Amino acid sequence: MIADILTGALRSGTSVMLASQGELISERAGVINLGTEGCMLAGALGGFATTVWTGNPWLGALAGGLCGMLLSLIHACLVLDRGANQLASGLTLMFFGIGVTAFLGRSFVSEQIVGFNPVPIPVLSDIPVLGEVLFNHDPLTYLSMLLVPALWFVLFRTRIGIILRAAGEREEVLFACGVNPRLVRYAAVLAGGFLAGIGGAQLSVAYTHSWVENMTAGRGVVAVAMVIFAAWRPFRAMLGAYLFGAAQALQLTVQQQGLPISPYFLFMAPYVLTLAALLIVERRKRSSVPEGLSRVFAADADG
Amino acid sequence: MKTEADLLPLSPQAARAVGRLRPARKIGRQIIVILAPFVLYGLFLLYNGVNPWELYVSMVRSAFGDWFGFGETLIKATPILLTGLAAALPARAGLINVGGEGQLAIGALFATMAAVWLLDALPAAAGIPLMLVAGALGGALWAGVTALLKVAGRINETIASLLLNYVAVFLVGYFVHGPLKDPHSFNWPFSPEIARQLRLPVFDGTRLHIGFLLAIAFAVLVWLVLAKTGTGFRIRVLGGNRIAAERAGIRVSLIYAGVLLAAGALAGIAGMIEIAGIEGRLRPTTGATYGYLGFLAAWMAWNHPLRLLLTSFLLGMIAVAGNELEIGSGLPSSSVHMLMALVLFFLMGGARGRKA
Repeated sequence: MIADILTGALRSGTSVMLASQGELISERAGVINLGTEGCMLAGALGGFATTVWTGNPWLGALAGGLCGMLLSLIHACLVLDRGANQLASGLTLMFFGIGVTAFLGRSFVSEQIVGFNPVPIPVLSDIPVLGEVLFNHDPLTYLSMLLVPALWFVLFRTRIGIILRAAGEREEVLFACGVNPRLVRYAAVLAGGFLAGIGGAQLSVAYTHSWVENMTAGRGVVAVAMVIFAAWRPFRAMLGAYLFGAAQALQLTVQQQGLPISPYFLFMAPYVLTLAALLIVERRKRSSVPEGLSRVFAADADG
Repeated sequence: MKTEADLLPLSPQAARAVGRLRPARKIGRQIIVILAPFVLYGLFLLYNGVNPWELYVSMVRSAFGDWFGFGETLIKATPILLTGLAAALPARAGLINVGGEGQLAIGALFATMAAVWLLDALPAAAGIPLMLVAGALGGALWAGVTALLKVAGRINETIASLLLNYVAVFLVGYFVHGPLKDPHSFNWPFSPEIARQLRLPVFDGTRLHIGFLLAIAFAVLVWLVLAKTGTGFRIRVLGGNRIAAERAGIRVSLIYAGVLLAAGALAGIAGMIEIAGIEGRLRPTTGATYGYLGFLAAWMAWNHPLRLLLTSFLLGMIAVAGNELEIGSGLPSSSVHMLMALVLFFLMGGARGRKA
């Protein structure tokens, strides 16, 4: 049963994990994107539709990423070029994503696809328990696991990472180096949207194999919360996302076992767990917020 | 105010020309900002085989053409106004409350529970105010969780209130599927209908109930408190500069908790009005999206309670158009969210001149 929950944690946590890694890039550069929810939805629908049309889930994942990126472009333009309030713009983007996908997705509700299916890795998947938990997933999940160390390396061990983080901490430094911080932020927001889109596509093409209106149900918001929970560190964001996934998996397991707990309390569990996780982290430590980002939160809410 | 003409070495004639040009360009830009989303959305409708001109005409006609339509717009504007206040009041203290959605839902839940279980036999004069109190209490309780997390747990209130929205929706789901389910509902998830005398009085010939007067009264009240009282002054100082407020001896935590609780109560009242004024029973989707619309209305109104009257009316009008769209042309009503989002995107994009 525990192996079931752990496997499910990875399976249903991957979409949140991809989105949170994307949001992490964006926030490290000083832009918070509450529209991640909208980007995920766009990715879920774009990925699903492309898979229906072409039958190729890889093209679907790519299209999903591009759809998420396209939506995040709106956020980037408004926030970086027009000086709009980041939280208001992000929230509007979330709204826009829900509206657009509900409308365009009407005809895809009853469609069926093959999509991605679990590919057990030879030898490794034969390890008892561990093999089943870690090495029997769809290809996007494997890729997302590789993404985390890669992102960590880029962020903390390369010049690109330093430039990205400088954009979020002190843009004056970048000016002094002759780098345009706005371009860096643009790239970061778009990368974030791309990953959120792939996360959404993972949800529709690999996890549920279907499209339902508003199917992300707050996963994008959770992804944003997970980044804060993770103190802007990739590995912790991964852990947080899998925690969310575990709570989702627990819900399925409890239902299968027929335990007398109302499903609605189980539906709540992941969100409550996310809040609890935030609470623990905030008690422990402050001031890991990228400096540019703390200005967004502290800024006069009039703006 | 310095204009470009003061800074650039221009001939006097040229400077005057620039001076004349600037207001014209400003107005031109405002017009573009207001019209562009409607044009874009019109193109989108055209592509989907709907005549946008007819829709816009019928939108204006249904909002202003007769009393019934005007009433429908006010019905939609009422909860948007209240949840808008729930966003605007904390915003003036520097907090971002996006939890109006959940606070409204829990307010509706409490109001329904009170009406069904406790106030069933009471006359209107006692029952309706008590139901209002129950709704306000529910909303305040839900906002209280955010306030507690913010003040004691130091969790960012934006994230906390957003996450609690999802919890609130599931909580309502639990009650309408469980303890609060109508025994005669043939398994549909909704609560029993509240007693007839607990419904809000309705204006003749419309569905409009007196709830909208209540909402306007609250908007004026919030404005009065913010603009004319010492508490309002302290709230605005805190919103302007937290450190200055701390140095001046303002009790920051107290104000944070206070505005969040008041905001929750306002959104909870919106939930009560939805139950007592419109639906008569609680459904899983009661009041859905009004919380977010309220936040956006507040943002459009620069968190000013009286300007909020205007923006919530505008959003109410678009929301009515959504129903129109669904009935008239078979497009899902959620597609009108796109129009709303487009309006807001262009407002945000065009807002730079006004100190964003």
